[in-house]
Amino acid sequence: MVEDTICAISTPMGVGGISIVRMSGKDSLLLAEKIFRNSKTKVSDFEPRKLYLGTLQTENFNEKCLMVYFKAPNSYTGEDMVEFQCHGGVKLAEGVLKELVKNGARIADGGEFTKRAFLDGKLSLDEAEGVIDVINSESDSQIRAGYNLMQGKLKSKVSEVQGKLTDCLAKLEVSMDYPEEELEEETKIDIIKELSDVKIELEKLLSTSSTGLSIKNGTKLVIVGKTNVGKSSLMNALLNYDRAIVTDIKGTTRDILEENFEYKGVKFILTDTAGIRESDDIVENIGINKAKKSINDADLILFVVDTSEKLTKEDEEILNLLKNKENVLVIYNKIDLDCKIDKKDIPFKNIMEISAKNEKNILELKEKIYDTIFDQNIMSAPIMLTNMRHIDIISKSRDLTNIAINTAKNDINLDLLSIDIKNIWLKIGEITGETEVEEIINTIFSKFCVGK
Amino acid sequence: MDFDVIVIGSGHAGVEACHASAKLGLKTLLLTLNLDSISFLACNPSIGGTAKGHLVCEIDALGGLMGVVADQNTIQRRMLNSSKGAAVQSLRAQIDKITYHTSMKQILEKQPNLAIIQGEASEIIVEDNRVIGVKTAQGNIYNCKACVVATGVYLNSRIIIGDYTKDCGPNGFANASHLTQSLINLGFEIKRFKTGTPVRVHGDSIDYSKLEIQKGEDDIQNFSFITKKSPKNVVDCYLTYTNKNTHKIILDNLDKAPMYTGLITGEGPRYCPSIETKVVRFADKDRHQLFLEPEALSTKEVYIQGFSTSMPSYIQQDMVHSLEGLENAHIMRDAYAIEYDAIESTQLFPTLESKEIKGLFCAGQVNGTSGYEEAAAQGIIAGINAAKHVKNEEKIVLTRDSSYIGVLIDDLVTKGTNEPYRMMTSRAEYRLHLRQDNADLRLTEIGRKIGLVDDKRYKIYKKRIKDLEMIKKLLDLRFGIKSVYAKMFESKGETFSSSGMTIRDMIRRANITIKDVVDCDTTLFDKFSIQDLKEIEIQEKYSGYLTRQEIQINQSKKSENIQLNSDFDYSTIKGLRIEAQQKLNKIKPLTLGQASRISGVSPADIAVLMVYLKSTKK
Repeated sequence: MVEDTICAISTPMGVGGISIVRMSGKDSLLLAEKIFRNSKTKVSDFEPRKLYLGTLQTENFNEKCLMVYFKAPNSYTGEDMVEFQCHGGVKLAEGVLKELVKNGARIADGGEFTKRAFLDGKLSLDEAEGVIDVINSESDSQIRAGYNLMQGKLKSKVSEVQGKLTDCLAKLEVSMDYPEEELEEETKIDIIKELSDVKIELEKLLSTSSTGLSIKNGTKLVIVGKTNVGKSSLMNALLNYDRAIVTDIKGTTRDILEENFEYKGVKFILTDTAGIRESDDIVENIGINKAKKSINDADLILFVVDTSEKLTKEDEEILNLLKNKENVLVIYNKIDLDCKIDKKDIPFKNIMEISAKNEKNILELKEKIYDTIFDQNIMSAPIMLTNMRHIDIISKSRDLTNIAINTAKNDINLDLLSIDIKNIWLKIGEITGETEVEEIINTIFSKFCVGK
Repeated sequence: MDFDVIVIGSGHAGVEACHASAKLGLKTLLLTLNLDSISFLACNPSIGGTAKGHLVCEIDALGGLMGVVADQNTIQRRMLNSSKGAAVQSLRAQIDKITYHTSMKQILEKQPNLAIIQGEASEIIVEDNRVIGVKTAQGNIYNCKACVVATGVYLNSRIIIGDYTKDCGPNGFANASHLTQSLINLGFEIKRFKTGTPVRVHGDSIDYSKLEIQKGEDDIQNFSFITKKSPKNVVDCYLTYTNKNTHKIILDNLDKAPMYTGLITGEGPRYCPSIETKVVRFADKDRHQLFLEPEALSTKEVYIQGFSTSMPSYIQQDMVHSLEGLENAHIMRDAYAIEYDAIESTQLFPTLESKEIKGLFCAGQVNGTSGYEEAAAQGIIAGINAAKHVKNEEKIVLTRDSSYIGVLIDDLVTKGTNEPYRMMTSRAEYRLHLRQDNADLRLTEIGRKIGLVDDKRYKIYKKRIKDLEMIKKLLDLRFGIKSVYAKMFESKGETFSSSGMTIRDMIRRANITIKDVVDCDTTLFDKFSIQDLKEIEIQEKYSGYLTRQEIQINQSKKSENIQLNSDFDYSTIKGLRIEAQQKLNKIKPLTLGQASRISGVSPADIAVLMVYLKSTKK
């Protein structure tokens, strides 16, 4: 049976010791051979079910990892399979995946390995039960609010592009299904123009994929505040351990500290800045400049204010720095002490009160950060491609659009051109879920006056 | 009286069903309301058209009647879409509606194993969920082992012309007023559908001199692969248009249009709108095209295609007289809308058998389709499967990649329809493979295995296969006299490569046809028919696309080949969403492929289903 070769990252997304990238399909070994080298044995001579250490070469990095080959029918799916066991980390695994796609594999749909396993009669009862849980839990994880919002926005954009193709197809189809009607002849030039518009839209989406992925791979938080407001204590509280040196001497934190923490499966990259103040100390000055840069790069700025002291000139300088920024969360620290500031002086609406030292409201703060990122930031952010499968689909759609444009330019029959356009339409439908031909037919009847 | 199979209704579905059943050796009864309505073309006097022409060729390839009889009674024909590609080329023929009826009636009268009786079926008799007979309103009881309901638009039908309504079938024929209740008692859900037909005018009252003529075409493919003598074009059609005045008359009288007064409640087809619907919905169009088609050689009646309406009779007069060339037209029959009962088609299996009652099959417009061809396509399948049911043989289901018939029936039983369903080429995902020209290559072997393809048809098919093989071998030849080919290439705007071009290379060029090549050296291909040569040309020109589509077909076959038990209770599957459980329990898909096409069943549901299927097998 002819099946294409699919690939996916099999280990959970996020932090972990190793990542496994899997491939299934008749070309698995062939693809592996293109990117994996073992010093002694040629990949094509690998013994099945034996681990080989070697180097996996990708466009951007070489990874020393293990590879194992399963020969059909003795594999999970019953097809030829290859697994790479790499070092942990999403970026690395995605890099490997990218390389496989570049060499001709396709990113698997959800549940596709299992589907193949079933179709080849490879699933036992126990495994079957387990897989159902996975399918169900997958949909649980998708319910996550922020993720959903982002996906919803992408979907509606992609639907819009698909809608253009639906119109285009409806015009072609109506002229073939109703040749006797008096319809305005759709010229090839019009179709080429419409397809070119689609191509531009797809390319725009693709250009967002790197920023999109970076949000997904780590949301950047930056902590700012004048010296000694408790930035380092806050960082330690968020990370649950002492990373920054905490002293009462102003200006202890001289360089940028960067650490990661995870909350609800999302990775946050936390940057602590040197207390922003004018300083004669050269080392500290470099730190201050870096801090200013971090503010501009951040997805969310955590502005720490010490409520136990009146606002100072330094606070005002920072406020000035944050002017016109919307992605600010004000953190009132030291709420266990008496409040000596007038909160009206701080013109930000998004506020959280904590005591970093006593670890009060730290969990609530994490929740607040999470909500802020996914409710506001993502809603106002431009649409971004964050999912490797989506990137793969959009990029293939772009390639299919090029094919269709060529077909239209070469004056090939309409029945063939419509196949090329329908291929793009179906490919994009893998994101929107809209692959019902009825949709095209509905468009025909809503837009054209046809019928006897 | 005892029969194996009873077919109720003698329209296009009924005749194919009873013919198939009788030809397969079953003692068959055709029970019809009116012997004069056998194969009656109640609406347009034409057969074929886009996707419909494909259906007729497929019925023919299986050994059905419609193609042969249509070819015999064609009075004009054209190949639609000839410039738009092989996949969508469709034959459309004007048919003499009077001789079509008599030809078909004669064929059935001569058919061994077939009895024809006029009578109104009033009840389908069922015992233990199994059909055992049919009772008529006249009081007769006929016993049977299987029954095909092919009642068309006759169930509780009524026609509407303005505020005039009459409980009757098309053309004033009596309707069937008892059978709907029997179907309800058997558990069928009943829908109310609507369609319509335009006026017929006297041909002598039309001023053709003002109108654009539309002539037929010669040298095109027939509907039937066994027709030896291609039909001639003996009549012309004409074109006219609605105009601002026509639209004004319609808009001024909308308050009298049953479509808008609420008199019509049935669901009408979007693709077959009445002229008032067109004028209202597409107000920016200042004219609509109309075709004038002769109804038969032995009558002067002319059909105005595109001018369906249910306006009052006197307004129809004004509307017709506003048309160019019809200023003095004499209307012989009014246009009318017709409402009728149809069953919910998802209550049928892809074999067209009822999910509840064994041996009960439904075919044609009663299933919610529209059109003669769609009806006939279901009729032949229902007839075959009724026969197989009696013989206790495995019933047939044509797949979506085999035929338009397969697409049609799969859509009906898997998705259902909320309006009369019309076949369209855009409904067929493997359209490139499902062409008119290769219908015999796709289906003759299947028809032979069923037993409907007789020796005569099979011999013709075998000869064609042999000829096609021989032509394919010739494609590897290199050209003869170089200069002749070079000149031909130049005239077609193609660049000629003087080294190493085979005939295959030549016909794969976009602008070179096999006829161009044949004309360069007539000796090479003189023993082959132009149809066979064209067939090979299409296979070669489209080979890249065809191969890709074949890969898709093969991929889908995996899930099409996984059979599901139709008695299975999907609500027992943990992890399947409730909506999916309900839909699956309703549709009772026969294969995993069919399950995946049910709307409301997601890929994740299918994954869960597959997992459970495996576990229940153990």
